[in-house]
Amino acid sequence: MGGEYTVAAIAAPLAVVALELWVLRTGLLRSARYWLTMAIAFAFQVPVDGWLTRPDATVVHYDDAAISGLRVPWHIPVEDYGFGFALMTLTLLLWLKLRPARAAERGADD
Amino acid sequence: MDPLRYLLILLACLAVTLPLELLLGARVYRRPRRLLAALAPVVALFVLWDLAAVARGHWWFDPRYTTGVRLLGLPVEEWLFFVVVPLCALLTYEVLGRTRHLLRLGRGPSTTESDKKGPFLSPQAGGGRGR
Repeated sequence: MGGEYTVAAIAAPLAVVALELWVLRTGLLRSARYWLTMAIAFAFQVPVDGWLTRPDATVVHYDDAAISGLRVPWHIPVEDYGFGFALMTLTLLLWLKLRPARAAERGADD
Repeated sequence: MDPLRYLLILLACLAVTLPLELLLGARVYRRPRRLLAALAPVVALFVLWDLAAVARGHWWFDPRYTTGVRLLGLPVEEWLFFVVVPLCALLTYEVLGRTRHLLRLGRGPSTTESDKKGPFLSPQAGGGRGR
């Protein structure tokens, strides 16, 4: 019911969320703008990841023992969404943390 | 074309999102220092994850669909993946922060000071927009 990548793909998003809640505290996860960004990003992850994992021309192969075997849609391992969530959320958090001091003081989204 | 497949997929991602910066007012490429500072830890962490995953056999890359250029044992495409995907997310996030601005532009010229600023001013100029 899952392998090491399954565990990592659950742990990584949790670690990123913990980083935000206890260290960075940017407020990103409370903004509708962030969740809309992620919805759009996942919508684009499907064709991109679908292309990388398509069975007839596979760019990235996965060990069946490392994954749950759940592939949605087509041949995309469901774990990839956890990987993508962690990758993009960490990026947005750091980007927000690095915004200019003036904008940060105003609480602006800049 | 086969060895370029992974690279072309990444290029397609960049091409599709480029108008967000050029036409829709996202300021990501135009903040290179902030971009680099945000990306460096992300690339480092995910390359480490990738190296560990490849070492443990979780996944591997088909030599037929990669250029064969490698950095620390990882295909250069995989390194670029950790730059391209975050870039696409940042561009999307930045454009969504511009929606009110874009709507205003749609209704005609604006009189607020921030709207008069051109898109190519110094990074500091971005801090004063839209409020």
